[in-house]
Amino acid sequence: MLLFDIVFNGNDKMYAEAEEAVNAAIAKYGEEKAVGFPETAYALAAYYAETGDKITNLKECKAGLEYIKTQMPRERRLDSVFKSGVATALAAEILEVTKYIEGDPYEGISEGAMTDAQLRELGVPLVVYDIPCVALIIHAAPSVQEAVDLVKSYQSQGNFVCLVGGIIDQLKEANYNMGFNVRVYPIGDNISCAAHAVSVASRVAMVFGNITPGDKVGLQKYHFERFRCFVNAFGPLDEKTVACGAGAIYYGFPVITNDMEYTPSVPKSLIKLADVSKFNKASLEARNIKIKVTNVDIPVAFATAFEGEIIRRGDMQVEFDGSRIDSFELVQTKELTEIEDHKIEVVGPELDEFEQGSKNGIAFIVEVAGKKMQPDFEPVFERKFHAWINGAEGIMHTGQRDMIRIRVSKDAFEAGFRAKHFGEILYAKIKGEFEAVVDKCQVTVYTDQAECSRLRHEVAQASFDKRDERLSSLTDENVDVFYTCILCQAFSPSHVCIVTPERLGLCGAVSWLDAKATHELEPDGACQVVEKVGLIDENLGAYESFNEAVHKYSMGALERITMYSIMVDPMTSCGCFECICGIEPFSNGVAIANREYAGMTPLGMTFPELASMTGGGVQTPGFMGHGKHFIGSKKFMAAEGGIQRIVWMPKELKDVVADRLNATAKELYGIDNFADMIGDETVTDSDPEALFAFLTEKGHPALGLDPLM
Amino acid sequence: MPFNQKPEKFAAKINTVTIGNGDKAIALGGESVLPLYTFDGPIDNAPKVGVEITDLGVEDIPGVKAYYEGCGSVADMAKKASEMEGADFVVLSLKGGDPNGEDKPTEDLVAIVKEVVAALGDYPLVVEGSGNVEKDNELLTKVSEACQGTNALIMSAKEENYKTVGASAGLAYGLNVGAESAVDINLAKQLNVITTKLGVNPEKIVMNIGNAAVGYGYEYVVSTMDRIRNAALSQNDDTLQMPIITPVSVDAWSVKESMASEEDMPEWGPAEERGIGMEIMGAAADLVSGSHAVILKHPQSVATIAKMIKELV
Amino acid sequence: MALNGIQIFKMTPKTNCKECGSPTCMAFSMKVAQGAAEISACPHMSEEALATLAEATAPPMKTIKVGAGDKEYTLGGETVLYRHDKTFVSRTRYAISLCSCMDDADIDAKLEAMKKVDYERIGEQMYVEMVYVNYHEGDAQDKYLDIVKKAAATGRVLVLGCTDEAVAKAALDICKDGKPILNGANAANAEAMSKLATDAGVVLGVSGADLNELYDTVAKLEGLGNKNLVLDTTGADVKTTFANTVQVRRAAIKNEDRTFGYPSIVNLSKIAKDDKYMQEALVSLFTMKYGSIVVLDQMSYDVALPLYGLRQNVFTDPQKPMTVEPGIYPINGGDENSLCLTTVDFALTYFVVSGELERSGVPCNLLISDAAGMSVLTAWAAGKLSSGTIAKFVQENVEDKIKCRKLVIPGKVAVLKGDLEAKLPGWEIIVAPDEAVQLVKFMKEFK
Repeated sequence: MLLFDIVFNGNDKMYAEAEEAVNAAIAKYGEEKAVGFPETAYALAAYYAETGDKITNLKECKAGLEYIKTQMPRERRLDSVFKSGVATALAAEILEVTKYIEGDPYEGISEGAMTDAQLRELGVPLVVYDIPCVALIIHAAPSVQEAVDLVKSYQSQGNFVCLVGGIIDQLKEANYNMGFNVRVYPIGDNISCAAHAVSVASRVAMVFGNITPGDKVGLQKYHFERFRCFVNAFGPLDEKTVACGAGAIYYGFPVITNDMEYTPSVPKSLIKLADVSKFNKASLEARNIKIKVTNVDIPVAFATAFEGEIIRRGDMQVEFDGSRIDSFELVQTKELTEIEDHKIEVVGPELDEFEQGSKNGIAFIVEVAGKKMQPDFEPVFERKFHAWINGAEGIMHTGQRDMIRIRVSKDAFEAGFRAKHFGEILYAKIKGEFEAVVDKCQVTVYTDQAECSRLRHEVAQASFDKRDERLSSLTDENVDVFYTCILCQAFSPSHVCIVTPERLGLCGAVSWLDAKATHELEPDGACQVVEKVGLIDENLGAYESFNEAVHKYSMGALERITMYSIMVDPMTSCGCFECICGIEPFSNGVAIANREYAGMTPLGMTFPELASMTGGGVQTPGFMGHGKHFIGSKKFMAAEGGIQRIVWMPKELKDVVADRLNATAKELYGIDNFADMIGDETVTDSDPEALFAFLTEKGHPALGLDPLM
Repeated sequence: MPFNQKPEKFAAKINTVTIGNGDKAIALGGESVLPLYTFDGPIDNAPKVGVEITDLGVEDIPGVKAYYEGCGSVADMAKKASEMEGADFVVLSLKGGDPNGEDKPTEDLVAIVKEVVAALGDYPLVVEGSGNVEKDNELLTKVSEACQGTNALIMSAKEENYKTVGASAGLAYGLNVGAESAVDINLAKQLNVITTKLGVNPEKIVMNIGNAAVGYGYEYVVSTMDRIRNAALSQNDDTLQMPIITPVSVDAWSVKESMASEEDMPEWGPAEERGIGMEIMGAAADLVSGSHAVILKHPQSVATIAKMIKELV
Repeated sequence: MALNGIQIFKMTPKTNCKECGSPTCMAFSMKVAQGAAEISACPHMSEEALATLAEATAPPMKTIKVGAGDKEYTLGGETVLYRHDKTFVSRTRYAISLCSCMDDADIDAKLEAMKKVDYERIGEQMYVEMVYVNYHEGDAQDKYLDIVKKAAATGRVLVLGCTDEAVAKAALDICKDGKPILNGANAANAEAMSKLATDAGVVLGVSGADLNELYDTVAKLEGLGNKNLVLDTTGADVKTTFANTVQVRRAAIKNEDRTFGYPSIVNLSKIAKDDKYMQEALVSLFTMKYGSIVVLDQMSYDVALPLYGLRQNVFTDPQKPMTVEPGIYPINGGDENSLCLTTVDFALTYFVVSGELERSGVPCNLLISDAAGMSVLTAWAAGKLSSGTIAKFVQENVEDKIKCRKLVIPGKVAVLKGDLEAKLPGWEIIVAPDEAVQLVKFMKEFK
C-alpha cells in the first residue's frame, strides 16, 4: 500500500471515530453541552491555534469536524498527506474532549491533557532550551529493557518525554518512575492521546511565541524553527499512527521508527532505524539538537584559579615537551557525518605506562563539525587550549601549535587524571564556549610517539602552513566584509575600531578572524559586520558604509572615517593602542612610539603625552593609534605613501617588526633592509635635526616624497 | 534683544511602561525630552519613587527600623511601605535567597511574594531576585507565576539568565521584565536586543543599567545614562528607548560613609543622616541623568525625592 | 570651529626653538589644540596668525578666576554638556550662606561648623571653598560689614550678595584683596555695579528677573567692556532655577551663544530655604547639571561626604581614571600579622575591593601597587600588573613592614601565581575569586 493510502485511511478512521463520539455525545447530552479540557484558557488548543476558533460545546465540536473535513484533500500529493496529518490530530483532539464530558477520564498513571499551569512551568525551560526538546514516544518498544534505556537516555539529557500507548505499560512493568515532575509524562493508551502533545506545542506557540490563533503559517514556522520536538514510533505501525506522524512531519517534527515496512524514508523527517539503541542520537540529530555541556568530567578540580599553577620538576608525574619530542595540538573542521560527538579516544599508552618524571610527546586532534563552523575559527579555538588545559588542577600547559609543553603533577595523576581527560576538558570547553558554531566534537589524544611524529609532519604541519598562508593571503580586497569592534567603549565611549585583514585592532589583540569569530559566536555582540558599500575614495579607504557604521556605533559622535589615511578622517583610538604614530614634519614622515617605550620621541612628546592626545575616540589628523602588527602592513597609511613614511621608532619595537617591515618594503618599493634606514633612540630620542641628518645619510625614501602637509 | 531659546525636542520617544493595575498603576517614560527638561517639552509621567523592603524582615538601618516597628510580617511591611509619604511603588527584594547568604528555599520566598501580592492588591510591585543568576533562574520563574495578573516588574534578567527570566516574567505570565546590565551602554543595548528577540515586548522592558554609590565610580553611571538617553532620543535607537529604574538604596547604605558608626567617626555625626544624604544625592543625580524610577529605603529620602520631583515636573 | 593640531602647526614658525616650553612646534600645536597651552606662549607667532587662532580657539564659555593665592579657583571654561564628550574642567564650588538678617550666634555657629569639614579623599582636600554673604535690604550696613569681616577671616572666597552700591563698595574695601565675587548687578544697577567690580578688580555676579532680562543685562555689561562675570541663575522656585541653569549652559556650549558663556551661581538658600534635605537633593542636581557655584545654608559631614564624593566622580577626566596612592592599606584593623591582598591602583577597583573586604570584617592588608590607574585585566594586558611589578612592590615596600607571608592575588590574574611564587620566595600565593563580590565569602572561609 502506498503512503498516501495509509495516511488517508488513518485520517478517515480517526475522523470517523471522532464523528461517532461527538454524535453519541450529542444524542446523550444535547448540542449545548459544554466541553473542554481541565484548567486551560485555550479550549481545544490544537484546533484553536490552527483556526482561531475556540470549541466550547458539542455543537461547536460538530462544526469543527465539518471544518476538518474540508482539510482532508485526497489528491495524491505530498501536500494532501500533510494536511491530512494535521486533520488527524485535530480530529483526535475532538475525540479526546468528548471523553472529558463526565470528568477526567484518565485514571491511574496516565495523565491525559496538560493544564495551563503545567504548560507554563514546562514552557519556560522549553523556550530557553534548558529542556533541549520534547520526545513523543508512541507504542511499545521491542523489549522492556529497550523502552527503559531509551526513555532514560532522553531523561538524562534533560529532555521532556511524552508517552502514548504500550510503552507506558512497559515502564510500569519496570517500575520506572513517571510523572510531570520527573519529565516523563504518560499521556494515555490510545493513539488519539497524541492530540494532547500537539496541544502542548500549540499552546507554547501561542503563549511564548506570540502566535496569533488562526495564523497557520506562523504556527508552522514557529514549530519548525523554535519548538523542538520529535516522534519515536514503534512498529508495527497502524494507519492512524502514520497519519498522526504525517502531521508531526508537517510541523517539522521528525519521526523515527523501527518499522521497516513503510515506504519511503525521508532524510531528516522520516527515519527508519531497526536498532532502538540508536534512536536517541538519530532523533537529536534529525532535529538539530545540541545537548549543552556544562561540567568538565575530570577527576581533578577545574577553575580559572588553577591557571597560574606551576608544576615543578619534583612534583611532576610526566611531562610532554614539544620542543624535544614531536607534540602538537590541532583543531580540524569536519563534516557532520564524519565524526561522532563526544567520542574520546586515546591512541598509545596511558599515563601509567610512562616512567615517572619522563619526557614524552603528545598530540591532540580535536575534530569539530557544525553547520556554522568555519575553518577560520580553528586557530581561535586552538588559542584557548592553553587556558583550558591550565584550568585543571595539577596540570600545567604552555605554548601552542607544535611548541607545547604539558606537565601532569603527581597529585593529579594519583587523583586519577589520565590522557583521556585532556580530551574531556577540550570537549567540554569547546562545546560549552563555542556552542553557537560547534554541533559535534570528537577528540583523539595520541601518546604513541611514532603516531605523534607522523601526524605532526604529515597532518599538523600542513594545516599550520595552510593556515599561515591563508592569513597572509587575506587582504582587504579579497574579503567581502570588515568588522567593527567596540569592546573598548566602556572606557572610550565614542571609539569604534574597524578591523580588516590587513589592519588588526589597535590594541593588537583583535584580528579580522577574531572579529569574525566573535561575530558568529555572539551575533549581537561587540563585533558587527561592515560591508564595503558606496565607495568614496579607494586610496583613502573611504566607503559610505564605513561612515554609517562609525556614526551608528559611536552613537553619533563620529561622522566619517578612512581606513588608510592618517591625515583625512583617520581612525580614532580608544586608549588601548599598542603604538601611536604621529607626523614628524621635518622628516616628512611619521615617528612611532610603542606603549612600552618610556623615553622621548623626535615629536617632542612621550608615549603618554601622545596617548592623551590621540585616545578617547577623537579624530586627531596626523596622529593615530594602531597595533604593532600593522606596521608591516601594506595598508599602513597607504594613502600617504605607506610604510616608507616611517622615519623613527624605538629600537625594541623595530626589532620586533623588522622582518615583516623589510619584506613589505622589498615588495612595495624594492628597498632592502628598510628597517636599518629608520631612526631610533640610539640615533636620537628627541632631536628632529639629528634625525633628519641620519635619514639623509641613509637615503631614506620619505625625504623624497610629496610633502605630508 | 531677548534670549533666543532653542528647546531641544526630539522626534523619538521613551517607551511607556505601566506597572500595577487600575487607579494605582504607575507609568514610566513616554517623554521626548531629556531628563526633567520640562522647559523643552512636556513630561507626562513624572519619575517615580519606590520603597524597598526585603524578605529578611526589618533591616537594622536607623530610621528605617523605626518606621516598620510593629510589622509582624513582610506583607505588613509591604503595606506600610506603600503608605510611606512620597512612595509610588513597593520593591520586594528576595536577597535572602542568595546561596552565598541565607540561601532561603524558593518555596519560602514564593510564599512571601504571595502574601505581599495579597497585601498590596493593585498597588505597583517590583520584585528583585536573590542576585544570584543561577538561583534566580528558578526563583524568578516561580515568582512570576505567583505574580500573575499583578502587572508587576520582575528584576532582574541579566545576560546570564535573561532567557529564563524573560520567558517566565515576560512571556508566560505577561509581567514587566527588568533588564540588568553592568554600567555599559553596549551591554545594556545588547541585553535589550536579545531579550526582545526572545519575544518579550519592548514595551514591557525596564532597564536597570547598574548603579554605584556617589563617590564610588559614579561617573560611569552618569556617562552611561547620558549616553543611553542621548542615543534613545537623538539617534532614535529603539533598542535603548526603555525607561530606566535604578536601585539606589543598596549601594547607598553599604559604603563606609553610611555604615561607619558614630563611635568610630565622632566628627561625622549620626550614621542615619549620612545614609540619608547618600540616598538623596544618589537618587537626585540618577534622576537628572536619566532614571525614570529610583529605589530607596529611608522615609526621609523618599519624601524628599518625591518632593523634588513634584517641584521639578 | 576648533582647529586641530596640524592646522595650528602650519601657522607656527616651525623652528623648534623651544621658547614656548615645548620641545617641538608640533608638540606645542597639539597642546594648544587640546587647550593645554595658550597660543600666546609662542613668542614668534605673526599677529595675523595670533588673531586667527585666538578667534578659532576661543572657548564657548569663559574661564573665570576667583579668589587669590592658594585659594584661587577656576570657574567655567567648559566645552561640553556631557562629561563623556570630553571632560568637565571646573568642578562645582560650594558656598555656605550668611545673611545680615541672621544673629551673631547663628553666624558663628555656621562658620564653626563649616571649618570642621576639612578632609582628604583620594588625593583631594575637601572643604567649603566659599562663603556667600547676603545683604538684606534695609539692614544696618555695619552689621553686614562685620559679617563680611568674619567671613573673610576664614580665608574662604567670598561672594557678596549685595545690590546696594554704597554697601557693596564698603564691603569690597574690606575684602577685595581676596578677589571675591560681587553678586549684585541687575538690570537697574548694572552700570554702577560694573564700575565697582572693575575698579576693585573682582568678578561681577549678574542676575535678572528672567532669562531675557539676564541676557540683556549681560549684553549691556559686555558692551561696557566687562567680561569678568558670573550669572546668578537662581529663579523664583526650583523649577525655574533648573530651567535657567540648564538653558544658560546649553546656549553657551551647544548654540555657541557667547553672551551666556559664563559660569553660574545657584542659591539654594533662596529656593529651598531651611530645608536641609531638599538642599541635599538640589545640590546633587545642580552639581550634575551646570551649577558653577552652589550656595547652601550650611555644611556638615553628612552633606559633605556624599556631595564631595559625587563631585569628585563627576569631574573626573573620562580618559584619566582616578587612582589611589600605592601603599599598604590596613582594613578592619589589619596589622603586620594579617593576611595580605593585592590589587591595582585604579580608584574604582580599590573602592570596590576595599568595600568588600571591609564588609567581610576580617582584618587584612590591602597592598596597592602602581598599575597606571588601569583595571586588573587591562593593567595585566598592558604589562602594568605583572609578577614583576607585584614582587618588586612587595620586596621594596612590604616585606620589612609585614610579617605575614600570605598574598592573595586577583582571580583574573591567576596566571601570575607560579611566577610570583618563584619571584617571592617564602610567600604563599593564593588566588582570590574572579569578582570582588565573592570576596566576603572568600575571606570568611579563608583560614
